[in-house]
Amino acid sequence: MKIICAVKFVPDVDSVVNIVGTATGDPETIRTGRHPRMILNPDDACSLAFALQVKAGNPGCSVEVVSAGPLSVRPHMEDLLRLPVDRATLISGRFFDEGNSSGRHNSSVTGDLLAGYIADRPYDCLLTGTQTLDGGSASVPVQLAEALGLDQMLGIIRVDPHRFDTRRAVFEVADDTRITTYEMVMPCVLSLTRESGYKLPYVKLTDMRRDVSDDLTVITAEELGFSEGEEGRTGSFTRVMNIYPKTYDEKDRHIVQNDEAGITEVFDFLKAEGFL
Amino acid sequence: MDKNKIIENLSGILTPSQVNTDPEDLYDASADRYKKYAKVRRVLDVPMPAAIVYPKSADEVGKVLSFCNESGLNVIPRAGKTATEGGLENWKENTVVIDALHLNRILNIDTYNMQATVQAGVPLQQLEDELRKNGFTAGHSPQSKPVAKLGGLVATRSIGQFSTLYGGIEDMVVGLECVFPSGHISRIKNVARRSGGPDIRHIAIGNEGALCYITEVTVKIFRFYPENNRFYGYLIRDMETGIQVLREVMVNGFRPSVARAYSEEDAAQHFYHFHKDKCVLLFMAEGPQGIVSATCQAIEDAVEKFKTGVIEQVDGQLIEDWFNNLNWSQKDIDDEMEGMKQNDSHAGFTTEISADWETIPKIYNNVMQRIRSEYPRAHDLTMLGGHSSHSYINGTNMYFVYNYHIHCEPEDEMRVYHHPLQRIIVEETLKLGGSMCHHHGIGKFRNEWTMDEHGSAYYMLEKLKEAFDPNGIMNFGTIYPQKEGEKYQQ
Repeated sequence: MKIICAVKFVPDVDSVVNIVGTATGDPETIRTGRHPRMILNPDDACSLAFALQVKAGNPGCSVEVVSAGPLSVRPHMEDLLRLPVDRATLISGRFFDEGNSSGRHNSSVTGDLLAGYIADRPYDCLLTGTQTLDGGSASVPVQLAEALGLDQMLGIIRVDPHRFDTRRAVFEVADDTRITTYEMVMPCVLSLTRESGYKLPYVKLTDMRRDVSDDLTVITAEELGFSEGEEGRTGSFTRVMNIYPKTYDEKDRHIVQNDEAGITEVFDFLKAEGFL
Repeated sequence: MDKNKIIENLSGILTPSQVNTDPEDLYDASADRYKKYAKVRRVLDVPMPAAIVYPKSADEVGKVLSFCNESGLNVIPRAGKTATEGGLENWKENTVVIDALHLNRILNIDTYNMQATVQAGVPLQQLEDELRKNGFTAGHSPQSKPVAKLGGLVATRSIGQFSTLYGGIEDMVVGLECVFPSGHISRIKNVARRSGGPDIRHIAIGNEGALCYITEVTVKIFRFYPENNRFYGYLIRDMETGIQVLREVMVNGFRPSVARAYSEEDAAQHFYHFHKDKCVLLFMAEGPQGIVSATCQAIEDAVEKFKTGVIEQVDGQLIEDWFNNLNWSQKDIDDEMEGMKQNDSHAGFTTEISADWETIPKIYNNVMQRIRSEYPRAHDLTMLGGHSSHSYINGTNMYFVYNYHIHCEPEDEMRVYHHPLQRIIVEETLKLGGSMCHHHGIGKFRNEWTMDEHGSAYYMLEKLKEAFDPNGIMNFGTIYPQKEGEKYQQ
């Protein structure tokens, strides 16, 4: 069985310290600030974790990861090879310069690039996340499905490992009121959510020390046959007008003693907030 | 010799009931708190010892040691099992753990000559409780007091939270009894002071089970004046201010029992109810009323002298309350273990170093700068700070404290997180002439720097090993670096 996981590296919102500037898309503006650390998008991490679980139980299974992004995510892609993923491909190029590392490239272009690459790859199933942490590319899985002519399902919280093969996949999708079980014919696009709870294994120390730099495939939009006009902002249908770091209001901290009055206060608070 | 033969021989030397081969107990005996996370996750990469034995006398210890010495069996001495640096970790296939379980008697409390004699396996808390009944104290109060035992405390050169007044364990030991690999039992007599050549107590004190097995110790005791205790707490601008105030008190000749300065980060985890994101300075004065009054005056004068760095005084009751809940009980340890089963986290790690007054702030700043700029997993750190908690007339210690999200396999945790952090701390300390190990000992995971720690004096340390443990059976890898053990370190 061949599984391709389309993944994205996104800013770790917990590590955002200080992004300066209005970030209207001008790389110079972006460079004035401190960039947050990049992490594998949590939904995508769940889909990859599931793929690796399938691989672990089926030695004939291969898992390929493909991502479109700046060259700065290369170390993260190399870590995926250490997991181990069988093949990792990074689609990079002019549009994904360092100034765009916070993921402000246009999602429609990303979808086109990924589909352009995947179309020529062998696969039985395409796995993605449902949402992205940076909110910028949730449309990509849908685009991929459309471009590749596949069925697609969002919001998957569990895949039945015993009914996941080259013919069909059986999985559960949750909405506000119910959990529904679906069966879908392969190949298809399955988009998992972080609520699925699939957890990526950690890279073992011996693998951390392994040089996999030659194992990562890096290709450009040009190599995929995209013209300059089709990639980058000129190829986009939409524009990112502004990004800004999320700020949190300082909590009104109130310390109580471990006594009757303190316990009463905590109880009243929890009740007022609807926890009790 | 195979393990069955070892067990058979040990059962003949002692009695079968004194030889423990329970797999769960042997697994527990394979490592100490250094690998607490890997241990609780059942992924230890070290061999299990062949047996744990429980001798009831120095003679029995001698017989077991003789057998091991003649058979080339590694020996790990242990008592309260609170070691943190790998001193109790096993690196040999054929290992016998000698446990002080049955060496558990308080032999004498002599309140006229102000000393108490106990066997190695007596819990410090038990001795302290006995002393308190008559208005005395051992003056030794490590955070592990409810669990730690006297033999281990002496063997690891322990220090307590009131050390600035009472001193470290080395200042308290009057005499002791210890057994060498040959089976020879040495008794160092209890005298107030003598000039009978080098102070041979220090061959046993801090030997970490690498030279001999301590079976009995006599320690000084002190009158206890809890009614006179006074506590001070301050929010201060920075660590430099804290160190300056500590130094001022010490160099003026005063000895508060507790004198500490906490970084903002460390203060936040200890004093969540009043720290206000500031550094914290605190003192405790104890002893006879006159001494306490004079010490309090000295503390207030020192604070006044450096008042530009002092933000505000906090209620001393807050400091007293905090102190009364500081120690780790066995339940706390068990709870931490249970938590580690459920979560990819633990209560953090520490590395304690020491240096003179002038050097300590430099080490602190260098370490912080290096960790933040070059440690590749700095983003996983959830806490990085430190505190000075044991001061002397010529310097102080620095207790680096850190915790992190564990994003690696449990068996890799120490190599990915704690050890690289410890390496930075040790390197910066040794570079500036400090000591890499203020009171946790060298164990097995700082032995790669033992020679750097001692420099040309390592010659003396090496000769001690050659003289007292010529076959190298005592706690293989502890203190002394071993090529064969590197696979467990790197």
